[in-house]
Amino acid sequence: MSRLVQKSPSLCTDLPLNNSDVCNKLRLLKELLKSCYGPTGRLKQVHNNIGGHVVTTSTSSVLLPALSSSQPLVNLIRSCILNHVSRFSDCGLFAAILCLTLIEEAKLSGLRRNVSIKVNKHLLGMCSSYLQEEDCGCRVVLDFCSSMNLITLTRSVIYSKPACVLAEVEALHMSKLAVQAFLLTVPCNSPGTVRLGRIVTVGVEGHPVLNSAVLTGLLVEVHDHLSLRMIKSMQTNPLRVVLFSASLAGDLSDLGDGIIEAHTGVDTDSQILDQLLEFCKHVVEDEVKLFVCQKVLHPVLQQYLRNHGVIVIDRVGVALMEPLTLLTGAQPVATLHTTIPAKAYGTVRSLSVKEFGSKTMLHLQPAAESAVCTMVVCHRNETMLSELKAVCQQAEHVLRLTLKEPSALLGGGCTETHLAAFIRNKVRFFTSLILLVIYLFITVKNTVIPSQSLNEVSQTLTAVECSQSEYLLGVEGFCRSLESVAAALQHDGGNSLTDLTHAHHWTLPADVTTENMEESLTFCGCGLTRNSPNMKWTHLNTKYPQFSPAPALRDSTVQPHVLDSFTAKLNALQVAVETANLVLDVRYVIQDTN
Amino acid sequence: MLPVERLHLDHVLQTVSVLESVVLRSFGPEGGQMLFIRDTGQAMLSRSGTKILTALRLEHPLARMVVECVLKHSAATGDGSKTFILLLASLLRMIHTTACKVPNVSHMYNSREAAVASTARRLAKKLVAFAFEELDDIFAMGVAPYGCCLSQEDYILTAQSQTNNPCVQKLLATFFHSRLGGTHSDLFSHLTSEMLINWIVRGEHPSKSLHFIYDNLPALHTPVSGFSISCSRLIEGQVIHRDFAAPCPQSDQQPVKAVILTGFLHPEVLCAGEVLQLGCEDNGTENSSWKQSIMQYSTWAESSLECAIARLRSLGVSVILSAVKQSAAALALAAQAEICIVECISEDELFLFGHLSGVSPVTDCRMIKPDDIALLTFCRPILLGSQRYVHVAFQDLDKRLIIKPCSLIICGAGEGQTDQYVCAFRDAIRMQLSTWRPIGTAASKQTSQLSKSESLHAEDQICKSLSFQQSLMGPGCVVPAGGTFELLLHHALLQHGRSVSGKADVDRFAVSQILANALLSIPKNIYSHSSRRFLETQTRLMGFINKQKHNTNLEQNLEEGIGNQHCCREINTPSEVFMLDLGLESLSCKYQLLLAVLQCVSNLLQVDTLLHINTTSHT
Repeated sequence: MSRLVQKSPSLCTDLPLNNSDVCNKLRLLKELLKSCYGPTGRLKQVHNNIGGHVVTTSTSSVLLPALSSSQPLVNLIRSCILNHVSRFSDCGLFAAILCLTLIEEAKLSGLRRNVSIKVNKHLLGMCSSYLQEEDCGCRVVLDFCSSMNLITLTRSVIYSKPACVLAEVEALHMSKLAVQAFLLTVPCNSPGTVRLGRIVTVGVEGHPVLNSAVLTGLLVEVHDHLSLRMIKSMQTNPLRVVLFSASLAGDLSDLGDGIIEAHTGVDTDSQILDQLLEFCKHVVEDEVKLFVCQKVLHPVLQQYLRNHGVIVIDRVGVALMEPLTLLTGAQPVATLHTTIPAKAYGTVRSLSVKEFGSKTMLHLQPAAESAVCTMVVCHRNETMLSELKAVCQQAEHVLRLTLKEPSALLGGGCTETHLAAFIRNKVRFFTSLILLVIYLFITVKNTVIPSQSLNEVSQTLTAVECSQSEYLLGVEGFCRSLESVAAALQHDGGNSLTDLTHAHHWTLPADVTTENMEESLTFCGCGLTRNSPNMKWTHLNTKYPQFSPAPALRDSTVQPHVLDSFTAKLNALQVAVETANLVLDVRYVIQDTN
Repeated sequence: MLPVERLHLDHVLQTVSVLESVVLRSFGPEGGQMLFIRDTGQAMLSRSGTKILTALRLEHPLARMVVECVLKHSAATGDGSKTFILLLASLLRMIHTTACKVPNVSHMYNSREAAVASTARRLAKKLVAFAFEELDDIFAMGVAPYGCCLSQEDYILTAQSQTNNPCVQKLLATFFHSRLGGTHSDLFSHLTSEMLINWIVRGEHPSKSLHFIYDNLPALHTPVSGFSISCSRLIEGQVIHRDFAAPCPQSDQQPVKAVILTGFLHPEVLCAGEVLQLGCEDNGTENSSWKQSIMQYSTWAESSLECAIARLRSLGVSVILSAVKQSAAALALAAQAEICIVECISEDELFLFGHLSGVSPVTDCRMIKPDDIALLTFCRPILLGSQRYVHVAFQDLDKRLIIKPCSLIICGAGEGQTDQYVCAFRDAIRMQLSTWRPIGTAASKQTSQLSKSESLHAEDQICKSLSFQQSLMGPGCVVPAGGTFELLLHHALLQHGRSVSGKADVDRFAVSQILANALLSIPKNIYSHSSRRFLETQTRLMGFINKQKHNTNLEQNLEEGIGNQHCCREINTPSEVFMLDLGLESLSCKYQLLLAVLQCVSNLLQVDTLLHINTTSHT
């Protein structure tokens, strides 16, 4: 009998953003995430109340799942950002901070919610189209002829994760390895659609980071050391491989739903084992030298195969099966009774034993060109290692994204300040145009006004459906939010500045006074512009005369030091603004308390 | 004695007003979203009135009754649930004030409240009767001339030039504006109308194709979270929401041959209930299995499997779409034969695939005929978000079906958003379906029967049967949105009241007054942020009506005798101006809404006492 319990009515919150408790929680979240942002960000330790594992991290992909809250709006933002991170692996903190700041700025501006939403949406469109323009001042086109930019891009990803505890040399080493591994997965001579290969990451604890390496082929962990001794004796090239995807533990194969009754004296186990041995005999006759099984292999079979000089690897798991088929060219076998066709066998060029710390591994070298490689990541302890492994995978993802869109954005906060200056300038241009039109209309009646710009102005205001002053307020909030994300990179009490020619982001250390400011500023955040005599600076979030931010001079000798993934950052920007708009649009919260 | 609660009009009004205040938060252009957290902790976003009302999980019996009425209405039309509540509250308020004004003439009632209640009851009944008798004519006279009719060509015309006939798109944009807010309405109306263009079969009634889309919606869309909403798009062909069971080499051979398989490739040796006895020596010759190994059975099964694969291979099949999970051996053998297998495909998707490719599913691979093989232009993996799916496109569709099948990919930052977009999309299709329903008492009576049987499909027949009758306003009639309908009807009702006021029928006059004034609350709430806009719209519309009347008077003088059987005029009148700024909404939906609200009012007012019964709950 089912239990009947009366449903309790839901808990309702009217206008959640007017509630001070909700606002405090959002502010707390913002401050927490801000303090993690960037290469000098502070780390957070996450541990649960039942004495579980302690995680030290500053990455959004680890931090955000831990920050679940009873406040629905916080969870809404969290899940949106996490979805972005799971698709793009980068710029999660950027999106979260921007989103929370936009919400706060919209509240401060006192505009009607719908107006802020429309202005934000309009400015987002302006930003995305500017970023995709040919002459965008903060985009760098990646040159695949040199690995320089790729390494910079990867280094920015790795270096912005302080929980990895990497020295500068180590970060550079890891980024070089990541780029090398990425390049190995791109097949060289396959016509038609290119399918990228796989990077298998193996973590080794207790070794210095500089011992990390990238190897072609695969490293497979071997559970027994008996077969390793055999390897030294066999050097015949190439070796024949069979991959087995079903269990060979001697269990009964599936015959259907019926019942099997075994009478005494019938030994089904030995019948099955006999069949398996028969099968192995065929394999040995076919001169297979390496026998790989995804699941468990019966010990008797292992012994039999080993006696006939076959190296056995079992329990490799489903994750390694795909790289193994790619590497060896074998097709997995799952049938026992049919003869294995010749093309189902694969080959490896050579086998050798590699030792990394406590792990002994078998190194499989591909016979033909293959796009599978192994990245061995070493670090001093477990937490740092798991963070570094995650970061390497993120770097791989970011590099893959460059294949779709071969460009990157300037890092170090320069993109944000540049965009803010660009928007301010464009909007100021609009409003001055309106004034000009009115002036001309009053004074000289028959003047030709550039109709295209006029159209743009009127379209903007009708699309946004608000007055000019409301529009300007909304724009100011948006620009301030962008700049405050750039300023969040600074954690040591320094000041954030922006120059008045390129609108890049500069950091002034805390102990420097304003008089000798100019000597202490050498490079901007991304390293593309350097200090020059007639450069002027202003503090971020102060009023400055609007100007058209000039793209930095493209001098081939100066390369940016910090780059961000273009695809990831563009999507992060879009997700941040859309999520902020969504939160601003929520007027009513209903919580089902059953 | 049971606890008895006497119901007064005040109580009813109070309950409905509470509902109104909740719904108002997301009503109109200034309205926002509602965030609903389920008991599982899952977040859901919505601006749909139905969702909001069900999420409240109300206890009060009256409120529950109202919510039920709203649900029934929106299940039939897919639109208008927020307007329902607003109109209901406003009507009750009007009835209340009117009933209070009526002097207590009879001594039959022992209290003033009872007198008020009885007057209210009488008014509500009159309202329903009035609606059934005269609303048709008022609609035809006062509202329909200012709207226009969608025709089947509208769907096709939009295909040729996007800007030529924006009617369908306007209608959708208005709907999405009320469902998703202003920022995304353009994008979604564009996607939906493009989807309709691709799916609607030329030379057939649009509602048939709309039904098809509505029924197959789960298979026709893919929600993808983590991307910006602007990444939403249409793609050619069908997306099957499963991945290839084994990584498969892609051949460039064309066409790709595929079969739908509902059974297992690997034969079952033992069916359920059968018993295999091993080693029973006493049976002697009858059962010879005692000397045989159990392995012979699996050998037989595997060789049978090999035969099946060989048969498929000889037919040139390279893709198997399977409804069930196949065995590891079947997968391995198929991979060796370069056949890709997609497992565990849902019934809906297989049905759609079968419909589009024109083949029927096969249960047993050994029975396969050349007719059962579908021809595809391609069959390849597609990565959408974190999931890898199978993307197929069909060959020779132009000859068999005159449609271009396409799938909708809906992107959003989180699952809450994509769910909301999908719901809105589904309701948009339903709204279009009800737009195509003819208006008139005959239709409304049939549809009220329909809503009981809850069958959407029978509407097709009604459409057909009614096309022979001369209905007052053709199906597919739309009017300008943004409160225009309510203002027009308000005006028409007042005029109608004036025309009957000469007669002795006082009630009829009162009733049309009540309805007319109640209607005004909708445009007032739409322009709640600035009353200036409300007045502007009202004056503009009134000016327009007067001008229009002048014209029609002239026309009528010219062609007397034809009578005032207005068919909806084409958009060449200045009403086009209105439509373009305000958007469009379906007249048929509005008509049904009005009837539903009036019935709900009279239902509510019939109740006079609540009885609370105590039932011991089973624990």
